[in-house]
Amino acid sequence: MTSPAAIATPPERPPRPRFTRRLFSRLEGVFHEEVFFLVLSVFIGIFAGLAVVCFRLAIDWTHLALLGPLPQTHSWRLFTVPAIAGLVVAAIVIYMFPGIRGSGVNQTKAALYIFNGVIPFRTAIGKFICAGLAIGSGQSLGPEDPSLQIGASIASALGRWLEISRDKLRLMAPVGAAAGLAAAFNAPISAVLFVIEEVIGRWSAGILGSVVLAAVSSVVVVRGFLGSEPLFRIPVTTFKRPAELIAYVVLGVVGGLASVAFAKSIGFLRPRLKALPRWTQFVQPAVAGLLVGLIGFLGFPQVMGAGYDSMDQAMHGQFAWKILAVLALLKIAATTLSFVSGTPGGMFAPTLFIGAMLGGAVGGIEHIYFPHLTGSTGTYALVGMGVLFAGFLRAPMTSVCMVLEVSGNYEIIVPVIVANTFSYVVSRSLQSMPIFDLLTRQDGLILPSLEQEREETILHVEDAMRPTPAVILSAEDYVDANARRIQDSPDAVFLVRLHPAGWTLVTRGNLQRLDREGKG
Amino acid sequence: MSRTLPKFIPRSAPVILLILTLAAAVAFAAVGHLVARFNANQQARGHKLYEQGLADASAGRYDEAIAAFRAALTCDPSNSQYQLSLARALRDSNVPARLDEAESYLTALWQRTPQDGAVNLALARVAAHRGNIDDATRYYHNAMYGVWSSNFDSNRSKARIELIQFLLKEGAPDKAEPELIALAAALPADAAAHLQVARLFAEAHDFNGALTQCREALHLDPKDRAAMACAGQAAFNSGNYATAQHYLQAAVDANPQDANSRRLLETADLVLRANPFRSHISDAERNRRITAAFTQAEKRLDQCAQQTGVDLKAAMPASALVNLHSRWMAVKPDLARLRSAAETDLPDNLMDVVFQIEQQTAAICGPPQGMDEALLLISQKREAASQ
Repeated sequence: MTSPAAIATPPERPPRPRFTRRLFSRLEGVFHEEVFFLVLSVFIGIFAGLAVVCFRLAIDWTHLALLGPLPQTHSWRLFTVPAIAGLVVAAIVIYMFPGIRGSGVNQTKAALYIFNGVIPFRTAIGKFICAGLAIGSGQSLGPEDPSLQIGASIASALGRWLEISRDKLRLMAPVGAAAGLAAAFNAPISAVLFVIEEVIGRWSAGILGSVVLAAVSSVVVVRGFLGSEPLFRIPVTTFKRPAELIAYVVLGVVGGLASVAFAKSIGFLRPRLKALPRWTQFVQPAVAGLLVGLIGFLGFPQVMGAGYDSMDQAMHGQFAWKILAVLALLKIAATTLSFVSGTPGGMFAPTLFIGAMLGGAVGGIEHIYFPHLTGSTGTYALVGMGVLFAGFLRAPMTSVCMVLEVSGNYEIIVPVIVANTFSYVVSRSLQSMPIFDLLTRQDGLILPSLEQEREETILHVEDAMRPTPAVILSAEDYVDANARRIQDSPDAVFLVRLHPAGWTLVTRGNLQRLDREGKG
Repeated sequence: MSRTLPKFIPRSAPVILLILTLAAAVAFAAVGHLVARFNANQQARGHKLYEQGLADASAGRYDEAIAAFRAALTCDPSNSQYQLSLARALRDSNVPARLDEAESYLTALWQRTPQDGAVNLALARVAAHRGNIDDATRYYHNAMYGVWSSNFDSNRSKARIELIQFLLKEGAPDKAEPELIALAAALPADAAAHLQVARLFAEAHDFNGALTQCREALHLDPKDRAAMACAGQAAFNSGNYATAQHYLQAAVDANPQDANSRRLLETADLVLRANPFRSHISDAERNRRITAAFTQAEKRLDQCAQQTGVDLKAAMPASALVNLHSRWMAVKPDLARLRSAAETDLPDNLMDVVFQIEQQTAAICGPPQGMDEALLLISQKREAASQ
């Protein structure tokens, strides 16, 4: 008989885990590494976007504080401010952040391929301060490449903080880079393509999803804070007659030549300035700032800073073609000076600036001689941006996509493709090495690039196969007949085709022995 | 950031994501605060620059105004008012190259608010600067029927007047006429407005329309001297010399300093006194006027011949004046037959010669004065009536 106590007592159950613990354990199952990495990409995009918002505010604030809201030519501030800011930047770079020179694209690439995805967080801090000060004070550099590096640095730091696997940590840098660039340029697709073309250097399906997620989320953040206004207003663009493509071909050729001149001047001056005594590194950014400021003081303040306002004006017919041509030349000189001096800052915006001015100038000249051309100066300026991008940065896919994404106009895709292709071909034929590869090699590194990969001859087994000269014997023939066939062959082993199917081998020795033994 | 996760935090994905979410929220709040403060400062700075730009623009210093508006826009890039003001300054600076940029700003604004009256008016003015009648008309119409923040009727009326002035300037009075009729139909009870419209009617060569508007103005203010002169001039130009005489007399009486009205009045008097085709005059009076006109025509011919150095007695009719003189000489004997009741066509034939002389001498020797002017006006009225 069962005791009443035993009946009354319910059977012992294991204690129920608390709700949160259950939830966490279920979520734990959901977030395996791949999914976790994708979700992390969204956070990278958010943090990179927030950093870029602050970076843009910092540049604007610095510009307002140092140069004032109204651009005034012949003001002494135009050359003293960049010079003094150059001294400060040089001191900060040399004493505190020695790894932040240059644009940041190569450093991000090196982090991916050499340093296992590690970019110190101090790089982001240093880049933020120095690039912000340099660009805000009027150095002829852009904020996009620093934004790219800041994004990569944040992503790398986050990856290390979370102790993710080494394989994933390597991929964090390009994910952050895409987020930073997308936020800076407000163009997620172009940023993704640029990172694939220039940073990752190869198409990789494994990382594409994360890169896209990070780029999109950073753009959403930036648009949330700073609005969705483009960096410049897009002019009305038209392309009506296919014959006008010839005009764009001319633009492509001129853009290619300008790209080569720009790249060669940087490639020539940079190692020479780096080779100068160390003390000169303290004054190189200041001298560059002084010279850039003098250009502004002498009547061309448009070349100072990133220059988006001037691009906007160029695209809306504000400048005569002569002024546009002069501005393009001066911007090449100013950006070369600023960049080779080791001032942190990017070449993305200056490239677009030069392209816009050059495009407008070429369009203006063509309109003088062929007044029936329907493309406005703004259309040429817009196409010119892509032309320089293709020729100088040697990112042909990004260049086409960027113009389309920025303009939102599919009508000009044919002129853009034609002009960019010519620019790319001219640039490649006159300067074999793309600018980022050149800079990397000057720094003593060799990193893979998509352009190299495109040009590599990839052989499959069938490409390596050749018709064999060897004698093939038949299993159905007599031994003496086969022995006669191999007499002139130098081979020691012969293929024998079996009947009805299959293959086997026979050695020269065995066949000759059988023949001698009269078994043929 | 380069440190790893603290030991007390469980290394599980949900915890990490929770921490990241919290961190993102905090960062959002911080950046949001920063952006809000920056934007507030920028807006204040932008407004200051905008006001500076407005002052420069109203003083005609368009280059400075453009620079100020541009700077204001860098502070607040999406501000429609700044964009509109910059576009207006670019347009008004009279630099053709800046019209493109002005149009670009305005087109962007138009795409955002296609119903905005001010934006449409600014776009219409850009199109008018370019001489593009179709676009200008379209945008002016949009402005007339668009949304205005205040003074809807006044702005609508101003836009229509601008359109009419533009069309008249471009030599399209046929397109201006319907606009004028619509404008006149919606005018307020204001004499000045009626007078303005009357002037536009006159510019469009619709003098009857002008006269109607002047009469409306007089109806509203019977002592309005400008309206009297306006009505007199409109009636004069429409060939209604009796009415013109009435209004011009009133205008001269009201304002003896009005030289133009006085001159027109004198001419109207002469026309009325010299016109042989005027009704309610006796045959004798008609014959007297024809004879006087015939004599006057000879004088005019002689004067013009002297002025141009033509010998009217030359044997060969080498010039139009000699030819006219020959014709005059040929019909001169007919003057004697004017009294005959049977000669019904004779007055017309004689006056036809007079009119030809007045018209051709006006073409050769310039506009006539006094009696000759009166005869010329009579000839024009006669021609208009026959057509």
